[in-house]
This record gives sequence, C-alpha cells and structure tokens, in this order.
Amino acid sequence: MELVLTIGLDALSFVLTLLLVTLGLVIVYGMMNVINMAHGELFLLGAYTLVAAQSAGLPFWAGVLLAMLVVGLAGLLIEELVIRHVYGRPIDTILATWGLSIAIKQLIIIVFGPAAISLTNPLPGSVSVLGIDYPAYRLVIMAVSAFLAATVYLVLFRTSIGLQIRSVIANRGMAGSLGVNTRLMDRGTFAVGAALAGIAGAVMAPIMSVDPQMGVGFLIPAFLAVLVGGLNSLLGAVIGAGIIGGASTTLSSGMAQATAQICVFVIAIVVIRLFPNGLSKGFR
Amino acid sequence: MTRRLPLFLTIGIWVLLLLAPLALDDWRISQLAQFLTYGLFALSLAFIWGQAGILCFGQAIFFGIGAYLMALITLGKLPLLGESQWTGIILGAVGGGVGAFGLALFMLGGRGLSGAHLAIVTLCAAVVAEVAAQRWDFIGGFNGLLGVPPLVAPYTRDDMFLSSNETYFLVLAIVMAVYLLLLLISRSSFGTLLAAIRSNENRTRYFGFDVTVAKLFAFSLAGMISGLAGALFTAQFGFVSPPLVGFGLSTEVLIWVAVGGREVLLAAFVGAIFVRWVENLLSDKLGQYWLLAMGLMFIFVVILAPRGLFGRILNLSKSR
Repeated sequence: MELVLTIGLDALSFVLTLLLVTLGLVIVYGMMNVINMAHGELFLLGAYTLVAAQSAGLPFWAGVLLAMLVVGLAGLLIEELVIRHVYGRPIDTILATWGLSIAIKQLIIIVFGPAAISLTNPLPGSVSVLGIDYPAYRLVIMAVSAFLAATVYLVLFRTSIGLQIRSVIANRGMAGSLGVNTRLMDRGTFAVGAALAGIAGAVMAPIMSVDPQMGVGFLIPAFLAVLVGGLNSLLGAVIGAGIIGGASTTLSSGMAQATAQICVFVIAIVVIRLFPNGLSKGFR
Repeated sequence: MTRRLPLFLTIGIWVLLLLAPLALDDWRISQLAQFLTYGLFALSLAFIWGQAGILCFGQAIFFGIGAYLMALITLGKLPLLGESQWTGIILGAVGGGVGAFGLALFMLGGRGLSGAHLAIVTLCAAVVAEVAAQRWDFIGGFNGLLGVPPLVAPYTRDDMFLSSNETYFLVLAIVMAVYLLLLLISRSSFGTLLAAIRSNENRTRYFGFDVTVAKLFAFSLAGMISGLAGALFTAQFGFVSPPLVGFGLSTEVLIWVAVGGREVLLAAFVGAIFVRWVENLLSDKLGQYWLLAMGLMFIFVVILAPRGLFGRILNLSKSR
C-alpha cells in the first residue's frame, strides 16, 4: 500500500512537470503550427539558469524567477530571429528548431562544461502524507506545477487575452480582421510557452542531475504526450501528460529505467498509430 | 549554357570522384571512401524525403541494421549463413529493406501517419532501437562488436585485403550504380507518381493511384540502400556500436541532406560529403565551437535556402 502511494505521488509530480513542458508545445503548435524541437533546450536553459543563479549566491526562489525571465526572453528572441521566418512551412520549423536545439545545447556545453552538475535540495526533509513520509520538495514541485497549469487554463478560458489567443488558434485570418493583433499574440504565446519550460527546468533541476542531455530526455516524452493526447487540444495535453508520465513512473518502479523508457515509447507509438488524432478527440 | 550547367556539374562531380585517387594519399582516400558511404546513406534519405515527401527521423535504424548484420556475419556469429562479406553486404541491404518495410507497414497501412506524426514516431523508433541495441548482449551491448575485417579481394589473391584505392573504387562503383538506379526511378513514371504524392497526397489518391503501396515501396527501397550503406561503412570502419542505430546519426543525416538540397539526389550526396569534409577540416581548429557553428549553419540554410546549398545548381530536371 505504501509502495503504491509513493509511486502514485511520484507519478503525479512527474505528470505535473511534464504538463508544464507539454502545455508550451501545444499552445505554440496550435497557435502557429510550429513544431518546436528546441523546446527541450528551453527546459535545459531554465535548469542552467538556476545553476548560474545558485553559484552567484542568489536564493533558490530568485533563481527560479530568473529562469522564468531568462527563458521567456530567450523565447522572444528565438521567435524574432528564427521562428518568424519559417511560419507556414511546418516541416521547416522542425528542421530550423532542430538546428536551434543543437546550437543551444552546444552553447551550454561551452559555458558550463559537459559534466553533470548536482544541486543541493532547497527543501530537504520529508512530510508525512497519508501515513507515508514523502520528500517535501517534491510536494512543492507539484504545487508549483499545478498552480501554473491552472493559471494557464484560467487565462486561456476566462480572460479576454485568452479569448483572443483562442480566436487566433481557431481562425487566424478572421481574428486578424476583427482587430486582434496576431503578431503580438504569436510573440506573447511563444515567450510564455518558453517561460513555462524554463520554470519546469528550474524546479526539476534540484532533483535531477543537471547535464546537457536532459533536454532531449524531456522533449521526447513531451512530444509523445502531445500526440497521444491530440494536437491542438489543451485537454489532450493533460490526458497525454497523464498517460506518458504515469506510465513511465509506474513502469520504472518495476524494471530498469532504460527498459521502462522503451516500453513507454512503444506503447505511445502504438496509441498514436491507432488514434492519429489523439485520445482527446475520441472523448468528444 | 546555363540550362546545361547542372548536367555538366553532375558529370564533373563523378569524374572528379573517379580521379580523386590520383591526387590524394592513402589515408585521405580511405577517408573519402567512408564519406562515400555516408553519401550513399544521404541518397537514401533524399529519395524518401525529397522525392516522396516522407520526413523520416529514424533513417539510421536501417543503416544500423545493415551495419550490425555485416558485423555479425563476418565475425561468424550467424554460422548458418557463412562468413562471406558478400553475404554480409547483400544481407545488410535486405535486412535494412525488411526493417523499413516492417516499420512502413505499421505506420502507413490503412489510415496512415504522415507529416509531423510520422517524424515523431520515427524519431521514437530510433531511440527505441538504440536502447534495444545497447541492452542486447548477443550484438555486443553497449560496446558493440569489434574487429570487423576489411573488404577482401573477390578475385585470385585469396585472403588478401583490398588496398585503400581498390576499396575506394569498389565503394564508388556501388554508389554510382545506386545513384543511377535512383535517378532512373525518379525520372520514370513511378518517380512522377512519387512527386505527385509529395505535392498532394489526397488528390493523387482520388485519381485512383494506390498511394500506400507506392510509399511502402519507396520507403523499403530507401531502407535497403541505408542497409547497404551501413554494411559498406562497417567493413571500412571496423566496428559497430549502438549509436549507429540511433537518434544522433538519424538527425545528422537529415542535416546533411537538408544542407545539400533535399530535392536533388546528387545535391544531398554532395551535402553529406561536404559537411563531413568541413567537419574534418574545422573540428580540430574550432573544437567545441564546431557543433555550435553547425547548428547555426543549419538554421541559416533552412531559413534562407530551403532548397539547400547545391539544390539549384545540380537540378537536372527542367525548372518549372
């Protein structure tokens, strides 16, 4: 029972972090038809911003905020320098952002070195949850991720900015002729999507070993989550992150991590093959 | 004159490759022979991507199948099949083709995947294949298989290895034959069908063509050529290891093809040799900055020259 509860909590914390990365991907894809292969490197950039902030002596939470800002700005810059030029060429967005991910990863290797860095846990100790001791910091991660995901949903579905964003997703031309500044929306959503990945990277950094390959480790599960859940659907992002995150945590408790990883990939590939439009479409 | 320029350049490149052993020393020739196998690999991706419009992020799976089969056979690990290198080369190609056919059957049959879905699924398949190769002890696990013998002369001098020049010419002959075959296919009516699928799949289907079968065939043929390239590569390189099957090499070949020019077979081939050659030249001087420069160059090519660096000047078909 205790084991089940621990796995459940682990799964929940992974699902929520994965959701942050996935949300950015889904919004950017829905909005601009851009498949952002550099999204994992934005996650990486967030983690390394925290590393830099910590070694400069800043407190942990300041580091996380800084990561959000830095990666958000990086998102703006990337949109302006690269993404803007490949709108309307979906396959080329895959290639251009792939080049970008190589460049960002290599830049990080040049600045921070290729070796893995481990950070000190800002909140050691554990809390008793439903009768089991659970690391306090993981609970914080869950709270932060759940809060941010909820905020994104509220902004999208309860504010006028959200309405404008959704109108651009639904029909760009129509939204533009009704006076929505689509260019501004593109920039804004890309930057916010990037910032979400940056925060995810920063909060996950203390419990992962921070190394230049960790971006890819998150990118592929996030993409699978998007496709399993259904492109272009925010509900799909939740379903997809839930399935991929839940399956990989549960499986890796019972077998070697690498084996669990390929099992999850194979399951995801089969689901994508059977439901190319994503599971969320099946529920409508 | 300018209309004929691509033809002259195409012939010129092959003549240069034929004459290369006159100008280069042994070591450089064996390097170039390795690059030729990368070029062959790039040809296979250019065929499936540039001609049929299928963006495959896992082409190295088939290269790796060919490489591993070649190593397994020449090292005598599959005793039923003998140890001949020719068996290895042929089986490498067949294995790559069968692997590609299987994956394509899974992905393309019925209401198949395409575009971004196919790209992500093949990318995952490459990761799965790499991890599987790392964990399968029969094929050497993490370390791979060492000591694959170099190519042996097929004629009289038995048990003698080919010299660098002979190896080079053998590989060049195979590459040329494959190039001509692919060129022939892309200019045949089947090539026109592939081009039609590339520009509008649904419309082609409504005209009554069997799009799925055409794509299956193209994908399997590309897999076969990748497997052949893998087998030839292994015989020269001397060992195989899991990265040959994986995600890294798959994306590298994608970069070579995109930089060269995906729509023109020879442009992709030259792209592979060009990138590898520049890498050799610069990676010593630039060190860690090489990959950074490569990433940036790739972005520039995609944004500014979607047809690649050599796509325009080597395009043999009439421009529309």
